[in-house]
Amino acid sequence: MSRTERAIALRRIRRLFQLALEVAKQDLALADRYVEIARRIAMRARIRMPREYKRLICKGCKRLLLPGLTCRVRLQPRREPHVAITCLRCGHVFRMPIKGRKDRERLMAEKEARATRRARGRWLSRRGPKAP
Amino acid sequence: MKVTPDIIKEEFIGLEAEVVASRHPGYVGIRGRVIDETRNMFVIEHEGRRKMVPKAVCTFHFTFPDGTVVEIEGRLLVGRPEDRLKKRIKRLW
Repeated sequence: MSRTERAIALRRIRRLFQLALEVAKQDLALADRYVEIARRIAMRARIRMPREYKRLICKGCKRLLLPGLTCRVRLQPRREPHVAITCLRCGHVFRMPIKGRKDRERLMAEKEARATRRARGRWLSRRGPKAP
Repeated sequence: MKVTPDIIKEEFIGLEAEVVASRHPGYVGIRGRVIDETRNMFVIEHEGRRKMVPKAVCTFHFTFPDGTVVEIEGRLLVGRPEDRLKKRIKRLW
C-alpha cells in the first residue's frame, strides 16, 4: 500500500464521516452504512481510524454514535473516574478513563456547573412563569 | 483537482453524478447525488427517488467538490468501495 493510497484512504474516511453526520438526522441507516464503508476502508488500507472518528463508532455494534441521538454520555466521578458512553441501540457501554488530576478536576467542575444550572432552572420554574 | 488514473480510488458517495451514456438507453439522463455504492451499482438520488444504476454498462460525469467534472467509464469502477482502494493498474484503452 503506497503513500498516496493511504492518503486517499484517509481522505475517503473523513469524507464519509462528514456525510454520515450530515445525513444522520434524516436517515440513520444510511449514516450507519457510511460508517461501515469508512471502517472497511480503514481496515483494507491498514490505517488507524483517526481518534475523533473512532469515538463515533460503537465498539459493540459498529454503528454511529451520536451524542443525544444514539448514545448517552455520562461522567462517572466515583472510584475510577471515567466517561461512560452508552450506545442506545445495542446497549454497549464504552468507558474512557479520565487520566490525571487536571483532566479530572476540569471535567468534574463542568459537571458541577451543569448541575447547578439545572437546579437553578428547577428553582425558577417552581416560581412559576415570569411576570410580563 | 488533478485528474490522474488514481481517480478510480476516490470516494464517489456524495458526489453529483450524471449518466451520459449506457448500453441500456433507459439509464441515460439519470443525474443527482450518489447515495450509496455496491460492487456493481451506484445508488443515485434522481428527482427525489433512489435509482440503482449498474456501473459496468454506463459512462458517468462526476462533479467533484471543487467543481471539476470528470467523465469516467463505469466499468473501471466495478468493485466494492473498499476494494477500489487497492492498487489496480488499468491499461484498458
